[in-house]
Amino acid sequence: MAVSLFWYMVEFARFEWIKKFLFAKTAPLITPAHFRGFPEPTGKACQHALFCMMVCPAPGAIEVLHEGDGWKPKIHKGHCIRCGLCVEACPNGVLRSGRVLETMWDQGTSLLFSFRIAIDPDLCMGCGNCCTACPVNKLADAQMGAGGHSATDEVIMRVQGGDILVLHEEKCTGCKTCEQSCPNDAIRIARILEGIQQPIQKPSPEAGP
Amino acid sequence: MSILQNVKDLVRSRSIHVSYVDVGSCNGCDIEVLACLAPRYDIEQYGIYVHNNPREADVLLVVGAFTPGWEEKLKGLWNKIPEPKAAIAIGNCPISGCVFDRRGSYVDPPVAKHIPIAAEVPGCPPRPTEILQAILSIRDSVFAEWEVKRK
Amino acid sequence: MKRTVDVNIPLGPVHPCFKEPVRLKCETRGERVIGVEVELGYMKKGIERIMKGRPWQEVMFLAERVCGICSVIHNMVFIEAIERISGIDVPKRAAFLRVIANELDRMQSHLLANFSYCYTIEHETLAMYLLDVRELVMDELERLTGARVTCAYIIPGGVRCDIRAEDQATLRISLDRIESDLHRYAKMFETGPMIALRSKGIGILTQESARRSHAVGPTARGSGINVDMRTLHPTYQQLGFVPVVRKDCDNHARIMVRFDELFASIRIIRQCLDTLQKGIIRGGGICKAGEIRYSGEAPRGELTYTIKTDEFGRITDIQIQTPSIMNIEACCHEMIVGVDSIADVTSTFVSADPCIACTER
Repeated sequence: MAVSLFWYMVEFARFEWIKKFLFAKTAPLITPAHFRGFPEPTGKACQHALFCMMVCPAPGAIEVLHEGDGWKPKIHKGHCIRCGLCVEACPNGVLRSGRVLETMWDQGTSLLFSFRIAIDPDLCMGCGNCCTACPVNKLADAQMGAGGHSATDEVIMRVQGGDILVLHEEKCTGCKTCEQSCPNDAIRIARILEGIQQPIQKPSPEAGP
Repeated sequence: MSILQNVKDLVRSRSIHVSYVDVGSCNGCDIEVLACLAPRYDIEQYGIYVHNNPREADVLLVVGAFTPGWEEKLKGLWNKIPEPKAAIAIGNCPISGCVFDRRGSYVDPPVAKHIPIAAEVPGCPPRPTEILQAILSIRDSVFAEWEVKRK
Repeated sequence: MKRTVDVNIPLGPVHPCFKEPVRLKCETRGERVIGVEVELGYMKKGIERIMKGRPWQEVMFLAERVCGICSVIHNMVFIEAIERISGIDVPKRAAFLRVIANELDRMQSHLLANFSYCYTIEHETLAMYLLDVRELVMDELERLTGARVTCAYIIPGGVRCDIRAEDQATLRISLDRIESDLHRYAKMFETGPMIALRSKGIGILTQESARRSHAVGPTARGSGINVDMRTLHPTYQQLGFVPVVRKDCDNHARIMVRFDELFASIRIIRQCLDTLQKGIIRGGGICKAGEIRYSGEAPRGELTYTIKTDEFGRITDIQIQTPSIMNIEACCHEMIVGVDSIADVTSTFVSADPCIACTER
């Protein structure tokens, strides 16, 4: 008992401890600048590339809305997990969050997106719902009928002879509208992401559109 | 309003006992609540005392996306807390289900369906400073004039 | 056989000592605990079910949220499994940065575990000291990755961002401070007579019973079993990593193993900073089809991911084996059985560092 009392006395009789005890001051409640917070707009015009929505891992966290004459990304607090992937994926630098954007410019890192369309031929029944639902198809061929038939070759996919035919996979924007409209879960969009770095090119933060 | 009421309001806003309940989170928000105890943030200097006993708590911090295991238990826990009381949702999970709110998961967000939520702290996880500010922001309003409001 | 039980004491799911909901039903005879039954099922979210059919950029965040305390190692094991499937090479610099992030995460997890133990045995001074040190580690983790808890730092082919020169300097300064503080706290714990009364000779897990109950991580290493998955990791092999083992088999040994591992982590981070080469941090690479079983060492023990992907790199099948379930079993069947009083049940349970979130997922 005496030993332990002595032991604790030694621990607490240090000058440092007494100083800390008498003049304790907690740090002010500030958020450091390098913390990756909710994404904020940088002021650059959104080009409606929608890569932020494609990369977002949380459901319902980011939306690109029509506002005035332009588009504007909107972050939903309570859904956003502050991962900063939308900042990295945006090709135009519309959003910023903590140091993510600055670090990207400094180190030349970026994310490369590609989209692939996979159709299960056993499940697909050639109804053409995906072709009519696709927003890119709508721009390419406004006359596309309910069956998914189209006269132009500019569409991403069309129904031909009862089967679906993918013509321009590279035009896909990865929005997954077709996936939602498919009654059989036959069409699946793969969003393939690759992290790359080009340390030689170093554009200044002011450059860009 | 009587002087007694003023005294009660003042005392209630300066001495808050907090209990937290984890209804299926990933532990990330849990440890950020725990980090509030650290000498860096020192939650007790504001008169907020964290202990995990619902029967003597004023504020319940709800963490997590509401799993089926808590279906009846959370309401029972809420009823055990003496009046006046308030619940704060910490993190995205009790607000929206965060990344777990997908087809095929067992969670049933939001928690506001099951117990009344007074304040929400978004973030996955929120910083300890944000949790602190949320508790500090509601302490003056929710418990004020409780005896008057009850009538 | 009929068992004589005096009182059946339930602890939890909401209990001042447990951070997470778990119920322990202790069968007692007098004060002595003769059996413990653990009741899980308060945290089941079905993460593995959500993961199926998703690409790595979504599964990575779900994997991090299997366990919020040791999120970096979940991220690391998942991404390294994907890399081994697809044959993606990691740049040297990125591999060392991963180790730095992982060791910082291990440090904060061990500090939290030791904090919980000290808090449970009501040694609040030491607990608060450890929590204060943990904030320093969290600051460094935040400076490196940009977030405190769920960092999302490791991606296939590298890491998200490079360490800056000024951050390297602050990291070294912080490490010096953490080390000098921790030396004092470890000595406090090792030689403190009151702490010894509450932890020495309590919660015995002998080497045989540890093997029988498949204990992993610091729980096994506190019982003299030399098992650490880091010895199989190529980057750690380059750094010449040697596991920490203690042979006392009690609560004290398990906490001291964590203290020793904190010093080992500090050494590893210093070594990484010394050997960090200039170069790129992202090599690129696209995920391919394949199947793998890959393990890493989480702060609580061996963590295994069994992953199957399709030709576009989406997960078609995934199983996660987390370390806590083995440790909880070891704790309930071997460690707690026979402790002298009900007051030691919580501290023994916490000394195994159970993480219910990653047990149930």
